Amino acid sequence: MRKSNLIYHLINAAIFIFLEIAALNMLGNNGSIQGTWISRGVQNFMGAVWGGAQSISDYFSLRKKNDVLAQENFELRLQIEQMKAAMPDFIPENIGKTGSTAGNYRYIHGEITKISNNTQHNYMIIGKGYEDGVTEGAGVITGKGAVGVIDAVSRRHSYARSFRNHEMNISARLGKEGAVGPLTWDGKSSDGAILKEIPHHVEFEKGDTVFTSGFSSIFPPDIPLGSVGEARIVNGATYEINITLFEDFGALRYVTIVENLGKEEMKELEEGR
Amino acid sequence: MKNQNFGVLFFLMVLGQVILCNFADFGPYVSLSLLPAMILCVPLAVSTPACMLLAFATGLSVDWLAEGIVGLNAASLIPVALMRKPLIRFFLGEDLITRSDSFSFKKYGAAKISAILLIETLIFLSIYVFLDGAGTRTAVFNLLRIGVSLACNYILAIIVTNILTVDDRK
Repeated sequence: MRKSNLIYHLINAAIFIFLEIAALNMLGNNGSIQGTWISRGVQNFMGAVWGGAQSISDYFSLRKKNDVLAQENFELRLQIEQMKAAMPDFIPENIGKTGSTAGNYRYIHGEITKISNNTQHNYMIIGKGYEDGVTEGAGVITGKGAVGVIDAVSRRHSYARSFRNHEMNISARLGKEGAVGPLTWDGKSSDGAILKEIPHHVEFEKGDTVFTSGFSSIFPPDIPLGSVGEARIVNGATYEINITLFEDFGALRYVTIVENLGKEEMKELEEGR
Repeated sequence: MKNQNFGVLFFLMVLGQVILCNFADFGPYVSLSLLPAMILCVPLAVSTPACMLLAFATGLSVDWLAEGIVGLNAASLIPVALMRKPLIRFFLGEDLITRSDSFSFKKYGAAKISAILLIETLIFLSIYVFLDGAGTRTAVFNLLRIGVSLACNYILAIIVTNILTVDDRK
């Protein structure tokens, strides 16, 4: 009896929802003001649902994030202590500010508000814009690698081309003092990349770390990107090496936007030549 | 006892509603509608899904024939059909629904029938007014429109209920 009652109520609810959606759809198509209003309402609803689901997912990944942050904190503290020991009178000027400058680079902390990971042209939207000092052409990094380049900037948001995009490559170095070549996404896996144009005489081993080379005006040098996997010789001249990236793009949330302060000067010099 | 002429009367009232929409203008604060009371008076032998379909078809017919925004009456009337049996069950008892009997002011008293009519009309008007305004009117205007229309529609609803329901105690 109870089961048949439940089925009856479910049928009622289904028919009600179906008819109501049909009526609202007709209303939206026939009344221009109503159409705009209903579509705005639907967008807000979907936004709330998406945001809620994201919050739940974030909550359950907090433990993992905490572990990563704790490890990162430890390493940073260690570096500060080492710096203090090396330079006892050094006091950094910009500590505590939104954007901090270190050496020739300016760093801005940001949070990803939207990310695309399932196409061949992936991108991310970061919740920092020109009001926060973000400029086009700045790099996007994390503690585990270079993840993108800023392509467009609005007042409060910026659009970054993801590393997982066929139009993107990063100048990478095998080890800290090895050969340099372009690193591109392999186009298939979430953590796979290919390091190309490595001369065939260069020696390396599986598991070696790949770093940013610093030979571009975007990323600072020595950011760890991934580890070396299988390699093959192409055209008898150079290696193509499979790289397993350190960064998990599926769990990406917080990033650092890095801007080379000498970028304009370098550009002017190149154009002058 | 059942109203043998219900179908004809219902059809005539749909025409009446079309005429009301096309030719009667009582200003921005008054929206007159026979539809919520008509749906409430649909015989209880008709199931809720069938009543919702009837409400959808009736609402669309009125929207088309009255040159209004298609879907406005239909979207407002479907919840009235959904709430019909739960409200009757709450105010008049399960027995009436089990017997698929009819109700009237004389049998159940003005207070209970009025409560059902007012709630059904309020559901209809709330959706109608907010969808019609589509965020362009202030909340005060909408609430005022619902209040004034509810008062006017209550009188119409009493007339419609008296016509469409049969009092077998006469």
